[in-house]
Amino acid sequence: MSAIWTIASLTVREAVRRRLVAAFALISVLMVGLSGWGFYRLSHGSGFTSGESNLALPQAVVLFMFMFSFVVALSASAVASLAVSSEIDSGVLQAVVARPVRRSDVLLGKWLGLVGLLAAYTAIVCGLLVAVVYLTSGFVAPDPAAAAGFVLAEGVVLLTLVLLLSTRLSSLAAGVIGVALFGVAWLAGVVGSLGAAFHIGALHTAGEIGQYVLPTDGLWHGAMFYLEPSSFLAQQLAESPIGQGDPFLAVAGPAWPYLTWAGIWLVLVLMLGLVSFERREL
Amino acid sequence: MSPAKSAERQAGPGHGQDGPGVCAQTPGSPAIHAIELSKRYGGTVALAGLSMTVARGEVFGFLGPNGAGKTTAVKLLLGLARPTGGEAMVLGAPAGDRETRRQIGYLPELFRFQSWLTAREVLVLHCRLMRLPRPRWAPAADEALQVVGLSGRGDDKVGTFSKGMQQRLGLGVALLGEPALVVLDEPTSALDPVGRHDVRVIVRELRDRGATVFLNTHLLEEAEHVCDRVTILSKGRSVATGTLGELQGTRPSVRVRVTGLPGRWWQPLAGFGRWTADGDWLLVEEMTDGRVPELVAAIVSLGGRVEAVIPEHQSLEESFLELLGEK
Repeated sequence: MSAIWTIASLTVREAVRRRLVAAFALISVLMVGLSGWGFYRLSHGSGFTSGESNLALPQAVVLFMFMFSFVVALSASAVASLAVSSEIDSGVLQAVVARPVRRSDVLLGKWLGLVGLLAAYTAIVCGLLVAVVYLTSGFVAPDPAAAAGFVLAEGVVLLTLVLLLSTRLSSLAAGVIGVALFGVAWLAGVVGSLGAAFHIGALHTAGEIGQYVLPTDGLWHGAMFYLEPSSFLAQQLAESPIGQGDPFLAVAGPAWPYLTWAGIWLVLVLMLGLVSFERREL
Repeated sequence: MSPAKSAERQAGPGHGQDGPGVCAQTPGSPAIHAIELSKRYGGTVALAGLSMTVARGEVFGFLGPNGAGKTTAVKLLLGLARPTGGEAMVLGAPAGDRETRRQIGYLPELFRFQSWLTAREVLVLHCRLMRLPRPRWAPAADEALQVVGLSGRGDDKVGTFSKGMQQRLGLGVALLGEPALVVLDEPTSALDPVGRHDVRVIVRELRDRGATVFLNTHLLEEAEHVCDRVTILSKGRSVATGTLGELQGTRPSVRVRVTGLPGRWWQPLAGFGRWTADGDWLLVEEMTDGRVPELVAAIVSLGGRVEAVIPEHQSLEESFLELLGEK
């Protein structure tokens, strides 16, 4: 256990020393600051009626979170892709695993450190966003903490997958494949929504399969659901030409069986990563 | 039979003749014992049945040209790679055994450390990974820095170090915790002459405190200076093992400068070995051990003045090239 904590704290320290944390802090401040200005303009002096504002604000929050979830996914992919293969290529890991440590502890430590960083980043940005949106517009999403949790889960899923890939592939290949799969999963979700809206069974099934193969989009739907007030949801469903097929609407949160599957998926992929790293020749 | 091959044949008990049963986990077990250790990468044979025994407390040179399989063998011994055949025991436990790695210091050929840590932090990290008691971390790091000549740079980031300094740091990392076995993979590849000298001093100090040093190198001079025994690896297989003396030839030559005798004076000395004359100098090769005083006495009895007696050995490089079929 001590080796896991040693590596986890080393991973966090690396992020701080390499100014990754500073860079993310700067980007986050910029992102939240700009969105604060946007939310202020949206609710003050935009000429919107209060009804229109009630529609626009949740939509803007969902869009912001969509963008942020993409940033989280990209960040998770980038840091996870560098965590193993680049250290093997440079020779840093050889000196570490020659010590009396389990390789699985080394990988678990890295995973834990990266998840901790991702969790802190998500919590800080989402907290800032909630505060800024409330202060500038008075709008509060139904359950921003749950939404942040789903965005984090989405990032952790991708991070775990890229970490697995990084035990076998080069950093570049692992990162690119991770981001590409994330995009494909989101696209599959959109296709599935359209299939449901237009009653095209094959598309709907393809979307559902996609959500099981890589649960990032399914978890993103959970984030969206907890950002949308019920009044907003009802109005959108009534007015949207494609209703439930709108990729920026979630009429229901992910069901427990699906969340259970996402948990199992995460554990399986993590274990696969541990086995793969254990068997990797250095 | 060449002197080196003879050395292989002459290797005594514990020097390559032990069966697998000797590998039991006893304190008296050899530091390293490999039996037909092999490694293939697809169709490429990296190691083709390496058998060797390294006794505890000796400085063992692992020599061979580039691509001979030296680093592959080191990785198999440390459990960084898995063998495709054979077996190896290190400090009495199967190669790669996690607990045994507490007693092993390792300087990899590709020595790289976290560039964003200071040298002291790298050393403390390894103390933690070795599970040394916390109070020992700082003294152990300070001592390692001092031994490898980095005392003044302990708080500098590794990223600011030259390659030579990083290799010194790697050596410091390998020395942490007073390991019973220190595996050094090309430990002087980035060092200047002063650094190389320092490494030799460190290796001798390790031997003095009873540690085993496994020195993987292609620099013969390095082995000549510090190794008790060496094995020469070629194409993934050990072609000779023995002491330097054994590998350099057990039948030494001697060069003698003689004055005060008429021409062709040396003919009565033909029985001492194969000889060649060049002016005042006589080179007698393949002499039987211990006959140099007899040779000198014979020359004096003939009325000659012996001005100089210079023993000559085949250099390790000559033996090396001969064994590899390059000479």
